Amino acid sequence: MLEVAPFMLWVVIGFLAFSLLLYCLLAGADFGAGVLEIFMSGERREAQRGIIGKAMGPVWEANHIWLILIVVILFTGFPEVYSRVSVNLHIPLTAMLLGVIARGCSFTFRHYDAVKGRSQRMYSGFFIFSSVWTPFCLGVVMGALTLGNINPAAAGYAEGFIHPWFRPFPLALGLFTIALFAFLAAVYLIGESPEGELRLSFVRKARWASAATVLAGGVVFVSAHLDGLELIPQFLRSKTAMGCLLLATLSLPLLWLALRNAQIWRARMLAGMQVILILAGWMWLQFPVLVHMPQGDLTFFNAHAPERTLVNLAWALIVGGAFILPALFYLFRVFKRDEE
Amino acid sequence: MIPTFHIMEDLLAARAQMALSLGFHIVFAAIGMAMPFLMAISHYQWLRTGRQVYFDVSRAWSRGVAIFFATGAVSGTALSFELGLLWPKFMQHAGPIIGMPFSWEGTAFFVEAIALGLFLYGRKRLNRWVHWGIGVVVGISGVLSGIFVVCANAWMNNPSGFDWIGGQAANINPVAAMFNPGWKTESLHMILAAFEATGFAVAGVHALMLLFRPSSCHREAFRIALLVGACAALIQPLSGDRLAKGTAARQPLKLAAMESHFETSTFAPLIVGGLPDATAREVRHGIPVPGLLSFLAKGDIRAEVKGLNDFPRVLWPPLLPVHVAFQIMVGCGTALAGLALLSLFFIWRKPAWLGNRRFLILVVLATPLGFLALEAGWVVTEVGRQPWIIYSIMKTAEAVTPMPGLVYPFLLFSAVYLFLTVVVAWLMLRHIRAVARNYPSAMPEGGSHA
Repeated sequence: MLEVAPFMLWVVIGFLAFSLLLYCLLAGADFGAGVLEIFMSGERREAQRGIIGKAMGPVWEANHIWLILIVVILFTGFPEVYSRVSVNLHIPLTAMLLGVIARGCSFTFRHYDAVKGRSQRMYSGFFIFSSVWTPFCLGVVMGALTLGNINPAAAGYAEGFIHPWFRPFPLALGLFTIALFAFLAAVYLIGESPEGELRLSFVRKARWASAATVLAGGVVFVSAHLDGLELIPQFLRSKTAMGCLLLATLSLPLLWLALRNAQIWRARMLAGMQVILILAGWMWLQFPVLVHMPQGDLTFFNAHAPERTLVNLAWALIVGGAFILPALFYLFRVFKRDEE
Repeated sequence: MIPTFHIMEDLLAARAQMALSLGFHIVFAAIGMAMPFLMAISHYQWLRTGRQVYFDVSRAWSRGVAIFFATGAVSGTALSFELGLLWPKFMQHAGPIIGMPFSWEGTAFFVEAIALGLFLYGRKRLNRWVHWGIGVVVGISGVLSGIFVVCANAWMNNPSGFDWIGGQAANINPVAAMFNPGWKTESLHMILAAFEATGFAVAGVHALMLLFRPSSCHREAFRIALLVGACAALIQPLSGDRLAKGTAARQPLKLAAMESHFETSTFAPLIVGGLPDATAREVRHGIPVPGLLSFLAKGDIRAEVKGLNDFPRVLWPPLLPVHVAFQIMVGCGTALAGLALLSLFFIWRKPAWLGNRRFLILVVLATPLGFLALEAGWVVTEVGRQPWIIYSIMKTAEAVTPMPGLVYPFLLFSAVYLFLTVVVAWLMLRHIRAVARNYPSAMPEGGSHA
C-alpha cells in the first residue's frame, strides 16, 4: 500500500507527529502549571497563581487546538484507527474529555469572574484536579495504544473496554505524563516570574519535577515488564530510540547546571529538547504502528484513507499550517518578548 | 457484564448525549460567531469618535465573550471526540469523505483561538488598529469555522462525493462531498441564526438594564446589538425559504414530517400549529392554509407536494418533535422578523423611540426567542433526518458504538453540562452587575442607585 500517494501520506504522518509534539510541549506545560499549583501554599501562592494566569491566559486556547488537529488527522486520514480507539478506549477518553472541559472552564472562570471572592477556591480546586487528571488520562490512552491489549474480537465487557487500559503500564505512563508536564511547566515558568524568591520557588519545583520524571520513567519500565511488554529489549534493539532516551536522561545534569546559573533560555531549550527526545524515542519505537493489536497491528500503511482523501488532507494541512504557524509565532512573540 | 438497569437503551442514550452536547455547544458557538462582530463595531466607533462609552461597551462585552468562547472551545473538543465515542462506524466511513471541512474547521478554529488570545490580552501591547483588525479576524474565522462544520452536517443530509458499494464508500471525492448540494443554504441559515439569536439576546439583556438602570453604556450596546440582530432576522426568512425548497427537492420525507403533510396532493395546505398523530395519520388542532405549502415548497400553489403516506412507515422520522420544533422555529423567527422591522424603523427614523418603555419591554420579552428558534431548528434538521445518520445510506442504529452502558456517560455529561450552564449564567449575572461599578459610562443616570 506504500505506493499510494507516498509523499502525501508522509506529509500527513509528519503533521500528526508534529501536532503531538507541540501539544505536549505547549498544552502539556499548561497542564503542568495546574499540577504545580498543588505544591503552592502560603503567602507566595497568590503571586505564583498570578504568574501562571498571565503566562497561560493568552495562549492556552491556541495550545489546546493541537489536540483537535490530532483528532481530525486521525479520523480523516486513519479512520479505522480513530474508530477502533474510540470503541475500546471509550472510558479513558471520556474521562479525559471531562478533564479537558473542567480545566478550560475553571481556568477561564477563575480569571474572568467579575467578583474575586470565595468562588476562586472552587475554580482553583477544579483547575488543579483537572490539570492532573487530563494528562493522566492522556498517558493512559497512549499506554493502551502501545500495550496491545486492544482486541476487536473481545467477548466480555472487561476484556473489551477495561483490560486494554486498566493495566500497570498505561497507568504508569499516566503518572509519567503528569510528572513530565509538571517538569516542563516549572522550567517555563522560571522565565515568566520576576527575579527573586518567586523565581527561585520555580527553580526548586523544576528540580523536584525533573527528579519525579526520572522516577516515574523507572516505574514505566518496571510496569511494562509486569505487563509482558518488553520495553527494555525493544529499546536496546533500536539504536535511534535508545539514543533519544539516553540523550534525554544524560542531558539532565546540564539542565540542573543551567537552573543553578539562572540561564533561563538554556534551561527552556534543554527541557523542551528532553521532552521532544522522549516522545521521538517512543514514536520511533512505535513506527509505523498506531495501535498494537493481537490480531495484527493497525499501521500508517494498512489503515490509511484512500489516496484522494490523503492528498486533500495533506493540502489542507499545508495551507492551514501556512496560516497557523506564522500566527502562532506572532502570538508568542507578542506575549513572550519582555522576558528576554 | 456491568449491571445495566435498563434505564435507557444504548442507542437512545447515545442519541440523547449527542443531542445534549450539540444543543449545549451550539449556544456558545453562535455567540462565538456573532459577538466578535458586535465588539468590532463598538470598537470601531471608539477608534473613530474617541468616545469612552464605545470603549466601555467593547471591554465589557469582551470579558463576557472570553467566558463563552472558552466554554465553546472545550465543548467543541468534546464533540470531536464524541463523534467517534458514540458513532464509531459512522466516522469510520464518513471520516475520509467529510474530513476536509473538518480539517478546514480545525484551521479556522486555530486562527480564531490565536486571534482571540491576541485580542483579549493584547490591548496594551498592540497598535490600536492592529488590535481592532485582530478582533475582526476573530469574527471572520469564527464564521468560517461555523460554515465548515455545517458543510459536514449538510453532507449528512445530502450525501455526495462517493459511491456506496456493498456497505463501503468508494470513489471518494472530498471536494464534492464538502460542496454538497445543501452546504450553501444550510450554512447561510446557521450563520444568520447565530447573528439573530445573539443580537436579540444581547439587546434583550441591555434593554432590561435600560429599564432599571439606564446609562449611556447600555444604550449604545442596546443599539448595536439590536441593529445586528434585526438585520439578520429580516434576511433569515428568505434563507429559510431557500432551505425549505432544497429540502423539498432532496429530502421530501423530511419536509413532509416538518409540515405533517400526510397525503400527497396538489394545492397542499400549510398546517399552522397542531399535533400530528402518526397512527391515525392526521393532524389535530392545526389550522390549514390551502395551497401555501405547495407555494413554499415549490413556488407554485398548484404544485404537487409528496406526503408521508408515500413512504414506508419505518422510514418516518418521529413526527411530533419534528413538527412541533418546526412550528416553534418558524413562530419565533416570524416574531423576531416583525420586531426587526419595528427596530430598524426606529433606528433609522425615530431614534428617540428606542428608549420607549413599551418597546424595551418587548425586546426584553424577545431575549430567548432567537436561541429557542436556533435549538428548534437543529431539532428539525437532526431528528428530521432519522432514522438515518447519513441520509438514505446508513441508519443511526447501525452506527452506534457496541459499548454497553451508554446511559452512564450520558448521565455524566448531563450533570456536567447542567452544572456548567448554571455556573455560566451565574457568572454572567455577576458580570452584568459589576459593569456599573467598573465602567464610568455605565453609571446609572439621574442618581437612581439601588
